[in-house]
Amino acid sequence: MAENGQPQVMIVDDEDMVITSIRAFLQLETDYGVHGFTSPEQAAAHLRTTPVDVVVSDYLMPKMNGIQLLAKAREYQPEAARVLLTGHADKQSAIQAINDVGLYQYLEKPWDNSQLLLVIRSAIERTQLLRNLKQKVNELDAAHSNLKDVQSRLLRAFL
Amino acid sequence: MTDGADPAGAQLERKDEVARLREELEAANQKLVDSHKMASLGRLSAGVVHEIRTPIGSIFSNNEVILRSLEKLKGLLSEARAQSAPPPQQSLDVLDIVAGLAAVDKIACERISSVIRSLKTFARVNEGELARVDINELLTNALKLTGTVFRRRLSMETEFGELPPVECYPGLLNQVFLNLIVNAGQAIDDEGAILLRTAREGDNVHISVKDTGRGIPPEVRSKIFAAGFTTKPIGEGTGLGLSITREIVEDTHGGRIWFETEVGKGTTFHVLIPIEQRGRS
Repeated sequence: MAENGQPQVMIVDDEDMVITSIRAFLQLETDYGVHGFTSPEQAAAHLRTTPVDVVVSDYLMPKMNGIQLLAKAREYQPEAARVLLTGHADKQSAIQAINDVGLYQYLEKPWDNSQLLLVIRSAIERTQLLRNLKQKVNELDAAHSNLKDVQSRLLRAFL
Repeated sequence: MTDGADPAGAQLERKDEVARLREELEAANQKLVDSHKMASLGRLSAGVVHEIRTPIGSIFSNNEVILRSLEKLKGLLSEARAQSAPPPQQSLDVLDIVAGLAAVDKIACERISSVIRSLKTFARVNEGELARVDINELLTNALKLTGTVFRRRLSMETEFGELPPVECYPGLLNQVFLNLIVNAGQAIDDEGAILLRTAREGDNVHISVKDTGRGIPPEVRSKIFAAGFTTKPIGEGTGLGLSITREIVEDTHGGRIWFETEVGKGTTFHVLIPIEQRGRS
């Protein structure tokens, strides 16, 4: 999520036409920020530095396949949801992806826009909930250590 | 009258029998060649399906977005008209999106029809007729089709020389080129390159398919043109590809096929096809 709260979606496909189509659809239907990459390597570099809420990746791409890219996404941004959108009619890749990279959803081309939007929307919600949870846990941790500190100071004062 | 009483008649019958058996054998051989061609196409199907699904996905999505955009545009224009105001900037933005998607659709349709065109060239079974064709064009087609499987990990290059039209059985030569390119692609484990070259050499054309793959180990080199020999796992090869390839090049066209190979560096297959088939049946 960007600082202004706008959800950020990354689309990676070596075919520019897929990115153009999905970007146009999301621009029309949502206010999401869309980051499109035809190179999975550049997408991975982007993930290193910029938080996104969901990564939607093709499977068959030159140099790095979708599962390898989503594994990097998991390493750099574990909360960001990972979606595979593939024309590769091979259930083996789906099973491998689900097991190896903790896939959020597996979609096949040709995709259905309303299903894609549903998946992206719920993926964003999940990511934001996870990030909120992480923040709350951090706050709790901080409060807890604060309390411990106060407690030990109190004990020192009375003993 | 018995057979023994008419040796000339019996001989004639035997001749007929031999001719019939030869025809049957040729028909069976043709069936084998055809079914091998279909099997090779079948193995390319995953790549072809992927190649077609992507543009179809885009077209579907674009169609929906274009329809919704037009609806939005209608709303914006009617609103402006009701207020006697000029069309708002947003309507121009929507028009830009629609124009962009229509352009993508054109590319997507071209992509699909190009895959189908190259498939159609290969799927034709009945290619019993000699024809004069452009060998470079046959190779380009074979490259397009195999590219659906290999282009993401391999660079596929061509250095085509100027060739005269070559008298040949195009359907059969298509199969030769498909076999050699698929073999080259399968010989490369990760990334690498395939280079197709053509040149005229006297009364022949010389076609070579070079790969940067594993190379052929010395112990199997003498067996690779034999029917039934394969080093590929089940489902990847029939063990007939190179035997059929040799038969088409040497027996059917009176050409030559040979290879150079170095383990760890790659292999180059060379094919020589006569420009004219005069005098050959």
